[in-house]
Amino acid sequence: MQILAQLIASGIAVGMIYGVIAFGYQLTFATSKTLNFGQGEALMLGSLVGWTVVAVTGYLIMLPIVLAFGLLQGAVVERLGVRQAIKTKSEAGWIMATIALGIIFKNLAENIWGRDALKFPSPLPEAPLSFMGVNVLPMEVAIVVGALAMMLAVEVFNRRSIYGKAVVATAVDRDAAGLMGINTSLVITFSYALSSMTAAFAGVLVAPVTLTGASMGGVLGLKAFSVAIIGGLSSGMGVVVGGLILGITETLTGYYISTGYKDVPGLVLLLLVLTLKPAGLFGRATIKKV
Amino acid sequence: MLKIENLSAGYGKVQVLHGISLDVAKGSLVTLIGSNGAGKTTTLRALSGMIAPTGGRIMLAGTDIAGMASHDIARLGLAHSPEGRRVFGTLSVADNLLLGSFTRLTGARPRGDVGRDLDRMYALFPRLSERRAQFAGTLSGGEQQMLAMARALMLGPEVLLLDEPSMGLAPKLVEDVFATIALLRQNQVTMLLVEQFAAAALEVADIGYVLENGRITAHGPAAALKTDPAVRAAYLGAAH
Ligand SMILES: Nc1ncnc2c1ncn2[C@@H]1O[C@H](COP(=O)(O)OP(=O)(O)OP(=O)(O)O)[C@@H](O)[C@H]1O
Ligand SMILES: [Mg+2]
Repeated sequence: MQILAQLIASGIAVGMIYGVIAFGYQLTFATSKTLNFGQGEALMLGSLVGWTVVAVTGYLIMLPIVLAFGLLQGAVVERLGVRQAIKTKSEAGWIMATIALGIIFKNLAENIWGRDALKFPSPLPEAPLSFMGVNVLPMEVAIVVGALAMMLAVEVFNRRSIYGKAVVATAVDRDAAGLMGINTSLVITFSYALSSMTAAFAGVLVAPVTLTGASMGGVLGLKAFSVAIIGGLSSGMGVVVGGLILGITETLTGYYISTGYKDVPGLVLLLLVLTLKPAGLFGRATIKKV
Repeated sequence: MLKIENLSAGYGKVQVLHGISLDVAKGSLVTLIGSNGAGKTTTLRALSGMIAPTGGRIMLAGTDIAGMASHDIARLGLAHSPEGRRVFGTLSVADNLLLGSFTRLTGARPRGDVGRDLDRMYALFPRLSERRAQFAGTLSGGEQQMLAMARALMLGPEVLLLDEPSMGLAPKLVEDVFATIALLRQNQVTMLLVEQFAAAALEVADIGYVLENGRITAHGPAAALKTDPAVRAAYLGAAH
């Protein structure tokens, strides 16, 4: 029982990271029906930039710098890889372009930071806290709180501010949004910026627990992608639950079966969802009256 | 206010408009009538930048807006209530109206008093007032039509384009829509109205244009068009 609770607790932290990256996939999908397949690399770059900056400024001042870097990096991806494909209505253009940019970012990172994993200093004590016999790292708590806060902040922005409403309007009907005077190309660039920003933030949240390095992005990006499929590309709630399901099944499989099979249940779940409920567990048809 | 010269437009290789010219004077209500597929909606789309014209000029208060992006055209004061209403279904009625005033709230157009204009819209369309917190997608067709018109008015437009505001409405509601248009006309809102109910449109309009296969075939004072034998035969039915 103790062990099970322990495994679930670590699964939750991992799952929240998957969830927040998957949330980033949703952001660009909503406005443009495209995805940044270099999302994992956005996380990796954010984390490595953070690693460099944190040595100079400390963790708290590093955060806004990394967030700003993420915004910029996402905007660059959209301008270079996605905009032209959307304009020409190319179905495959953005897929290839965002994958290619991801590979370029990875190579760039290998040349700047090397290929080895780097230790990211933890801003919080590294001694575990004990809740009724379950050990939790303070940084794991920070991951859960930070990830939820980030998603909540974006939701509040979308619901409350006129610019957020413009983002939602663009997602619902791009042409009609244009008639309102909304620059919808800029909204799409912004959604890419925001999406990379959440990934970069996830990068500096997870790095103190794992390690950081040029190769950290690929697997995380892929797993978050299956979380986005499991949870549904349109449901904010879905990625949290999807992330938790995946994170927890992974740690459970890793312990009770074998770490070698740790990735299997998630993929099986992905295949099941794709077969039985392609819109995702929480996906819903949008309300649209004709 | 709005002066269209020799406008042509289409979809891909299919040309729909073959050089049409049309004038909307400040404060006037102009109606564009024509049968299904004549190119009425295409005309409005070209005006508001939803499609790029292939030729001609569109002068809005002295600026050529032909080929500009739709958000830039909206910022110059052209509002378009499009065919099919196109309200933002997953946003509330109130949010739809706020988005109508996006250019004003973000400094692209003079702000004026957005709150007072919202109140005016709710006074003009009391049904929207009762449903302001409801998702626009859950409104009835008629209510969505009111919302689309009100949303366009929230821009504080120099010119308002209305594409078949009576489409799909019960006769009583059609009357209401035309009454609202007449009221806007009294308030000096410059409008270009596309309508299937030609008789009713010519009743409220100052000037009428007849569009056939992408060409203007007749135009003049609405009262004169109404009695024109050719127009009567084609669009008004013998009974009128
Ligand atoms: N998105 C489109 N792609 C291709 N062709 C189109 C498109 N929209 C309209 N057309 C064509 O352009 C022509 C004019 O259509 P338009 O919608 O402007 O007609 P309309 O006068 O508004 O008709 P209605 O009274 O039925 O609304 C039609 O032949 C139509 O088939
Ligand atoms: Mg039409």
